[in-house]
Amino acid sequence: MTLSVLPWLGGAVVAVAAGFLAALLPRRRARADGRKVAWSAARAAIHDATVSRDAAATPVPEAERLLARAELLAAAPGGGADAAREAAAHARRADELWRAGA
Amino acid sequence: MRVRRELLRWSLLAVAAAVLVVFLVAQRQSVEVSYGRSPSSASLPAEGSAGELSDASVPSVEEMTARVAAEPVVRLPGAVARWDEGRVRAAAGPGGTRILVAPPGLDEAERRRVKDVENAEIRIVGTEVSGGVLAATPDDLPGWRAQFATADVTDQVLTLLAALRKQPSPPDRDDLRWREPTTAELAPVTAALRATGRWVAPGATLPRLPEKAVSEAFPGGAWFVVLPTQPYGTPLPGYGPALHRLAPDRPVVVMYGGWIEYHGPGASEFAEVAGASFYAQYGSRLSRYSYPQLNVLAAYLARVTDVRYAGLFDRPLPYRPFDPLRVALPALPWLFAGCVAGFVALSIRTVRGAGRRRPGEVGPGGTPARLAGLSALAVELSLLTDARSDPALVRGIGRLRSARYALDDGLPDKHVRRLLADAEAELDGVARDVRMPGYRPDVYLRGRLS
Repeated sequence: MTLSVLPWLGGAVVAVAAGFLAALLPRRRARADGRKVAWSAARAAIHDATVSRDAAATPVPEAERLLARAELLAAAPGGGADAAREAAAHARRADELWRAGA
Repeated sequence: MRVRRELLRWSLLAVAAAVLVVFLVAQRQSVEVSYGRSPSSASLPAEGSAGELSDASVPSVEEMTARVAAEPVVRLPGAVARWDEGRVRAAAGPGGTRILVAPPGLDEAERRRVKDVENAEIRIVGTEVSGGVLAATPDDLPGWRAQFATADVTDQVLTLLAALRKQPSPPDRDDLRWREPTTAELAPVTAALRATGRWVAPGATLPRLPEKAVSEAFPGGAWFVVLPTQPYGTPLPGYGPALHRLAPDRPVVVMYGGWIEYHGPGASEFAEVAGASFYAQYGSRLSRYSYPQLNVLAAYLARVTDVRYAGLFDRPLPYRPFDPLRVALPALPWLFAGCVAGFVALSIRTVRGAGRRRPGEVGPGGTPARLAGLSALAVELSLLTDARSDPALVRGIGRLRSARYALDDGLPDKHVRRLLADAEAELDGVARDVRMPGYRPDVYLRGRLS
């Protein structure tokens, strides 16, 4: 009785585990990708902002503050996609302010 | 292709789940084991429910004790047991013995009263013989035949006496004699059998046949001859052999009181097995109680059915419907294992397929080629820029660097293209600023990549 039930139990566990992993792994990979993409975009935006700041004729304190926040967010290790999007938004806003001031 | 693989994957899982459910449902097994699923259900149920208790009763213990003290053999009203008085007297020896004979069908309290009569050396209830802590029962077909056909308990009494006196048991002796039924006796019997299939002698207690048990035991029908218990000491009319000679192909069941005989086709094969197993199981209850012959016959026919379905003999069984579950059960674990293995394999393929990044298109229109082209354009433009257009150039170069990192990291092509598009826009602005239409990215790339 016990012996005949074991393969069924094992098979069911294996099937459930396979289904779970098949759903979990692509999702985790997509999240990691999303995070990397967001940080890549954020860093590009911060770089744009620093270039605009260096080119700006007049200092803009508001833009300085925004860029500082964005750089702070980017400097913290292990930030998520949300932090990256927030940093990108700050950097973009600072970039716009400097370009408008220039 | 991909959709079909997903479909296959999930249908494999569904099949595995269905197989598992079927397996679990099939675990609901019964403990009954029968070669051909015998339909018989008749048995002799608990005391008092099958008409085995008679109206007979016994006097008080004191009265019975007094009567046993007064005479050596006391027969209470309704007593049926008989024995060979000469042999019993010889075995009892000079001291004699005291025997109390009670009627069959007593309930438990009445039997206890009989048991409490201490001065009776041998107590007989119905044809159940006991004495002291001992009881004697027959153990072969001639013994049961004598006990139930003629209420003869000689062998049991002799055996019990020998045991009580610590002597070796005497060998059993079959005193039953047979005689050929006369033509005058046989004529009404055969007439009734040909008309209705049964003949019930006067004094027999069979109001009707147990139809269901009859059709299960003898699907082709049978003849039933039912007689009451025969008087002790006279030869029994042998209806069975006579009727068998008359109709060799017809099963004939002859009942003498509680004793049932089978004559007919296949008698040598199963009559002994059916009779011996029936009387070995129910003999003690049949001897103690007075069952109606209807119930005894029904129980015997159920036993005949069981013997037929036991597959001991080459008798045709009724049609047994095809059961797909019984056929498929051994294959189910393999089917389940196969489905699980397929599901696991396809899951692995799905995960790896999703993980394998499609490389950006190679060739003139591909992302790497665009990156290379735009980088070359940035280098060329860097010779022409002034303070006004420098920031745009630096921003474009920054984007190109980001795009390169993204490409190296294996980030999605879409993201790389977006970064390249940003860089292209910046460089386009620079080219317009320096008034070099040939350095507009789309023009430059067209010339370079074509």
